[in-house]
Amino acid sequence: MASSTNVEESAQSRAGGVSSPGPTELRPKRSRRRWHNGIGTVPFLVYLGLFLVIPAISVVVTAFQSGAGHFTLSNFNEAVHGVYLKSFINSIQLSFAAAIVATVLGVLASLAVCASSNRIVRALVSSGSAVFANTGGVPLAFSFIATVGNFGVITKLLTDAGFNPYDHGFSLYSVFGLTIVYQYFLIPLMVLIMIPPIEALRKEWVDASSSLGATRAQFWRWVGIPLLAPPILAAFIVLFTDAFAAYATAEALTSGTISLVPIQLGALISGNVLAGQTNLGDALGAGMIAIVLVAGFLYAYVQRKASKWLR
Amino acid sequence: MVAVTTNVGRNGKEPGAANVLKLGRAFRYGVLGLVGIFFIIPILASARFSFLGNNNTITISAYTELFSTPQFWSTLFLSVKIGLGTVLLTLALLIPTVVWIHLRVPKLKRVFESISLLPLVIPSVVVTLGVITSFKSLPNIIMGTPVILALEYVILALPYSYRTFDSAVQAIDLKTLVDAGQSLGAGWSKLLRLVLLPNLRSGLLGAAILAFAFCLGEFAVASLLSFTTFPVFLVQVGQVAASQAVALSLIARLFTWMPLAVIIISFGQRNASSKKKTVSLAKTIEQEETTGIA
Repeated sequence: MASSTNVEESAQSRAGGVSSPGPTELRPKRSRRRWHNGIGTVPFLVYLGLFLVIPAISVVVTAFQSGAGHFTLSNFNEAVHGVYLKSFINSIQLSFAAAIVATVLGVLASLAVCASSNRIVRALVSSGSAVFANTGGVPLAFSFIATVGNFGVITKLLTDAGFNPYDHGFSLYSVFGLTIVYQYFLIPLMVLIMIPPIEALRKEWVDASSSLGATRAQFWRWVGIPLLAPPILAAFIVLFTDAFAAYATAEALTSGTISLVPIQLGALISGNVLAGQTNLGDALGAGMIAIVLVAGFLYAYVQRKASKWLR
Repeated sequence: MVAVTTNVGRNGKEPGAANVLKLGRAFRYGVLGLVGIFFIIPILASARFSFLGNNNTITISAYTELFSTPQFWSTLFLSVKIGLGTVLLTLALLIPTVVWIHLRVPKLKRVFESISLLPLVIPSVVVTLGVITSFKSLPNIIMGTPVILALEYVILALPYSYRTFDSAVQAIDLKTLVDAGQSLGAGWSKLLRLVLLPNLRSGLLGAAILAFAFCLGEFAVASLLSFTTFPVFLVQVGQVAASQAVALSLIARLFTWMPLAVIIISFGQRNASSKKKTVSLAKTIEQEETTGIA
């Protein structure tokens, strides 16, 4: 009896377009149908579990196992010493530097785009960013080799002009070189992420501050920067993780000569394993997951602050 | 007082963000110009590099040699096959799931959007390692063939494909369309064929193209699982012939840029006319249904 009135009521509220039915009316029905409602999502979740969650968990579990399958911490001990420690330091330095540079340049570019009233410029930059943010990988490495590699076009031009950058400490095949190359997909990513929050700086706030007599500097000091700081920080974290996980560009550019975590892990996977390092790769993998997870939690925290105002 | 405030607002020179963000022409064009140059130079330099012969002559030999390499075609073909497989799997997984979520459990929309971003958290190198350790015992027909690549690419492309399709579903009034279709007597297959797919065309196309572009460019998983896909071939070429590798990268760029440009343009149009389209399509369905009954 009770359930039939519920059905009637909900049918009525749907037909009448009543948008807020009392929560008490629907509760009994909903709890009965809850598991039923979830069924349609099962195939998707199973697929994700099978091809993403299980592999990830197996890496973490294996990281704590010796070759014979016993519990051990020796893999991690190995992973934080020598060349592997160096690779973590290199990777973090590279990702941090690349993300900082891209954040600064990306914010400047986004501000410049948002300030421009030229429609063509805006359309060009936003669709261009979408394309370039997706153009990492191997082709990127080769286009920089063609530009400022040992025999690159720009290198040649500069050498002809009497300044060979490779004689002055520059090398494309270094952490510094990678920092530059990574800008090619990090800056567009930053622009993509930052345009919406900058555009969301609401006209009302601008008007309010100017009617209260604020100067432009005051507006930025008290309104603009506090509002944009959380999204900028969140975007920085995204860039950091993106750079940290990047493998293809670094591998193609340096052929594995530079010690970064993904490169070391790749070398271990492709079989350059020394005796007694059976599960070392898993420890490196677990380390990468840990770093990205920390970044992810920071991101979620910052994002919650950001979404308070900028909707 | 209120009137004064609004007046000030109205007298502001430009509406919206452009007003506060007045940055000065020199600054604006300076920043955009410099960034633009940074993005254009490598492309121009690659083009120049790929046409460079001995003693500064111009030659297209890098390209002709590439096209006459059988491996160029075989690896490209392999990548296209993997891409198509990935696209089919992605759509088979996304269409029912996203439609179901929007109809039956709309509360979970945000949750599933976050779940779809999960592959970004786990670097693809780590996923590859996990695949090797956990699927060792899987039959050779999966692990020993590129099938495993397609299966994994569905996951790795998910952050892009899911969002695209999800926002397309969000943009139409799914519930009303389904209710209308059902009240006209359409079953699920008819509903899918006549109502949902036509309305979600651009979203499906977008998700498909993003997944496909991802497959054409993916290097880490393919190379670590020892499959010679197109990007892996590109790196192999790079170790022996630089100018060919650069030529090949330009071609690879075109492969990914063209489809991406297509979706960006088509999405711009969709956003402009999505409302109209939904209404008119609902009408055509009604017509088709009535003629079907009659």
